[in-house]
Amino acid sequence: MLKVVNVCTRVEGHGEVKILLQNDEISIVNLEFELYRGFENFLIGKRLFDIPKFVSRICGLCYASQAIASCKAVEDIYSIEISEQSILLRRLLMSAELIKSHSMNFFFQTLPDLLRIFNIAQNTFSPNELIQYYPHLTTNLYDLIKIGNEICELFGGRSVHLISIVPGGVIYSPSQKIITIAQKYFQKALSISEWIIEKFIQLFANQTPPKEFNLPNFISLAQTNYGNYDRYSGSLRFKENNKNLVEFEKHNYSTYFSKEINLRGIDFYFENKKNVIVGPFSRFNIVENYGIDEVLSYIEYFNKLWKKNLLFINFIRILEIYIESFRSIQILDDPSLNIKENLPSLNSIKNENGIGVIEAPRGTLIHHYHLDKSNVVDRIKLFIATEFNIPLLNQMITKYAQGLYEITGDLNLVEKNIQVIIRAFDPCISCATH
Amino acid sequence: MKPRFILISMTSCTGCISTLISLDIFPQFLERTIINYFPFISDEKDINECEVALVEGCVSEESQIIFLRKVRRNAKKVFAFGTCACFGGILSLSSLKKAEPISNHIEIDGIIPGCPPPSKLLGNCLIRLIENKDITLSEKNMCANCPLRGNIEINSNINITKINPNPEEIRLGEENSECFLKKGILCLGPITRDGCEYKCIKMGLPCEGCMGPVSKDFTSNIINYLSLIELSQELRNYTGIYYRFSKPNIKR
Repeated sequence: MLKVVNVCTRVEGHGEVKILLQNDEISIVNLEFELYRGFENFLIGKRLFDIPKFVSRICGLCYASQAIASCKAVEDIYSIEISEQSILLRRLLMSAELIKSHSMNFFFQTLPDLLRIFNIAQNTFSPNELIQYYPHLTTNLYDLIKIGNEICELFGGRSVHLISIVPGGVIYSPSQKIITIAQKYFQKALSISEWIIEKFIQLFANQTPPKEFNLPNFISLAQTNYGNYDRYSGSLRFKENNKNLVEFEKHNYSTYFSKEINLRGIDFYFENKKNVIVGPFSRFNIVENYGIDEVLSYIEYFNKLWKKNLLFINFIRILEIYIESFRSIQILDDPSLNIKENLPSLNSIKNENGIGVIEAPRGTLIHHYHLDKSNVVDRIKLFIATEFNIPLLNQMITKYAQGLYEITGDLNLVEKNIQVIIRAFDPCISCATH
Repeated sequence: MKPRFILISMTSCTGCISTLISLDIFPQFLERTIINYFPFISDEKDINECEVALVEGCVSEESQIIFLRKVRRNAKKVFAFGTCACFGGILSLSSLKKAEPISNHIEIDGIIPGCPPPSKLLGNCLIRLIENKDITLSEKNMCANCPLRGNIEINSNINITKINPNPEEIRLGEENSECFLKKGILCLGPITRDGCEYKCIKMGLPCEGCMGPVSKDFTSNIINYLSLIELSQELRNYTGIYYRFSKPNIKR
């Protein structure tokens, strides 16, 4: 049995593809991470106020999501409700993080792949070549990254590992001047994302996506607020094809899945053995109402073949930038954003378990903390979006590699093309190696 | 000739890299340099000769040491980029994992500290590196120009009972006028390098030391400092203070 290891490029973090060859046939292909950092371990005994600051450092791309999920878990332990102003500020910071993260993925990681797959470019462009080839598109993508960054600086105090997000709310109250600046940023993000959506449609919508990238059968998991698009609050829902399987509150998650601390992988308690997907594609499958008419008309440009194809995730990510910009403009008009309240005190602990759930850019993120009898954190479970997606991703790259190797016998080509699938999933390896 | 750069991640969160990509001058950086290795955005798989290597993340695995040495052999100048590479970083909280600064294993030509490095500081450092100049950091501590600076002597009897204000007491900017230490809240400003533009202080929170010390070892600075003040017993036992961004440096 020959093992071929190839380091992934143009992904977040350090991942390796392992290809197992048996009798000149590919038997298994896995995306693996050698690293393990042990956050679930060293957070034990740490103070509840400190934990969100520490978990933010799990990831430099999903920092706001990690910190907010953590704060929600701590607030669950104290059983406190946070102010409407703080909820709105958290939503704005989550939008800024998503705009930055999705734009970086499209620019540096997936756009060069799409251009090659659809024969628009012969080679995979380097960032500089891409800038020369598409100056307007790449300038727009840079602007989106910068807008996400600026909003984080304005409302979070820093571009990464935000200072203002603490248990009990957000330490910040924007002045009218800051609100006006933020409105301009999000309006610009909205018009840029409209332009990129149209460009994407013009470049790719009339083409047929390669069937090798069709998704196998899967089950979607996402948070939704009664079918509405809501990444901050709601309940969790499983859906298969057009059928909602089950909807449940966060405190009941362990009825459906769990994990062993310090071990990778999430165990699902279904009889149905299909793999689960989380993230933009899953949100697309589960959300029934975006509250924005244009979203549906944009989706109509793509035929049925696209909607079961992995490459469609690239479009949904751009669409989510548009949706988040649109909703952020609405939030900035909300009078509750001006009503400043002091943060609640964290004096009396009410529950020994605290669970925080949000939809991170890459999908469902759950933090579960447990306290011992002296109210010290003694157990931490982190359910990371990329961990949910790994079994489906590995299933896809194995099938794809087997087919391609059988036809071509070219292992270099297999290695190169597998990474297109991996990048379309947009794994966050920093998060997954928590 | 354009300077050649390589950007490398050890054990990290990618936050320093994401800060770099989000800088206003990043397009200019791409234009004025040749990127020889930068796995986050390019397909280049081998380390080649270069003028500057920026290394993000701490050393937590043996295999990283060999890789680091290869970087050192190929780069004219190597800089520790971000607090993990400079001092060990957040993984120092772990008692099971190693979290070493890269300088434990290779000679370095400078540091760009911060978790993440402040955008302005990082932008200035990059421009200087592109122009083949040395980078300069402030030699002052945070207190030197702190907006809350009063007439406080840090070696007078200060009783510290908290490491952060109670959430309901957090006040922003100008509403917050008194030094944290005076209020019995631990602030690591006295032993932390200036350069972050007081972002935490302005948000009503004390300095947690992410920029690292002005000189010498991180943890010994903290221990010396804490020996000057009265710290409650509960805080004395809390490793979340001492090992937040660095472990004691026992290997040189």
